[in-house]
Amino acid sequence: MKLTTNDLRTALLNAADKMEEHKDELTDLDREIGDGDHGINMSRGFQAVKKELEAKQDFADLGELSKLVGMTLIKTVGGASGPLYGTIFVKFANTWKGVGEAEGDALVSGFEEALEGIKTRGKADAGEKTMIDVWTPFINALKSEGDLSHAIDEGLAHSKTIMATKGRASYFGEATKGVQDPGALSSSLLLNELKEALHD
Amino acid sequence: MINLILVSHSGKLAEGLKDLLREMAAETPILLAAGLADGKIGTDVGRIEQAFGNISDDALILTDIGSATMNAELALELYAGDRDIRFVDVPLVEGGFLAAVLSGQGKSLDEIITALEAEFKK
Ligand SMILES: [Mg+2]
Repeated sequence: MKLTTNDLRTALLNAADKMEEHKDELTDLDREIGDGDHGINMSRGFQAVKKELEAKQDFADLGELSKLVGMTLIKTVGGASGPLYGTIFVKFANTWKGVGEAEGDALVSGFEEALEGIKTRGKADAGEKTMIDVWTPFINALKSEGDLSHAIDEGLAHSKTIMATKGRASYFGEATKGVQDPGALSSSLLLNELKEALHD
Repeated sequence: MINLILVSHSGKLAEGLKDLLREMAAETPILLAAGLADGKIGTDVGRIEQAFGNISDDALILTDIGSATMNAELALELYAGDRDIRFVDVPLVEGGFLAAVLSGQGKSLDEIITALEAEFKK
């Protein structure tokens, strides 16, 4: 599997459209088990990313592109998702500094660093009904060359069944079982686009 | 004198807390990074960075919940200035009280953090 700078840029433009399509759904879910701003936040952040990427088409490498995306998300998303999604791309930027195309171990390590970054930032682990429950199976499938789509769907479905123990949703306790975590859903939207960008 | 930076989702909450702390420690510099533009609830890494730019000495950050803490830690990672700024994860109101009083007494950042951890991380 290989990720090129241009394919990552395209994937992010597509992810911005997906966030827009699912804006109301993300916000409604967050209204059930949170503060009702997730769709609005993700839409604002990814529209800002889209604007940056439409203004600049050529990036030297994955690092330069990821850094711009990370800083844009940090500045514009808000909520807890700003620092979390921002951290993902800042970690990509650090790992892929000067790297035009990532493949093999270099590709996996970018995703692993990003996952470690969100675990540290959110002081959370797998099984707490967060975005981590989608990122973890995705990365496992990437490492084992498994089915990425299936991994995303399974992670998303499993996270729906369990109880939230981190973030705002954790205050809702048992009532979170059976409700889709909005952060897990927005992560699945992003990862589905990143998956499309990966080629042999 | 060690500055306190209060990071809260609510501007009103932070303003109210500042009033409260003023009664105990009138001299301690207190900066707020609270709420969003137009009075909305939320935390913003930009406001924390702005506070970093306005401190008059080393500083201690206290936060309320969730994204306040995440944004504070993120702002610290991005900070390139030469002040010693640190975050300690203790209750905002009670921790703020102790920190404001100790700063007013001229205690160092290390001394304040040690006292906060002894009080709240038993
Ligand atoms: Mg929310």
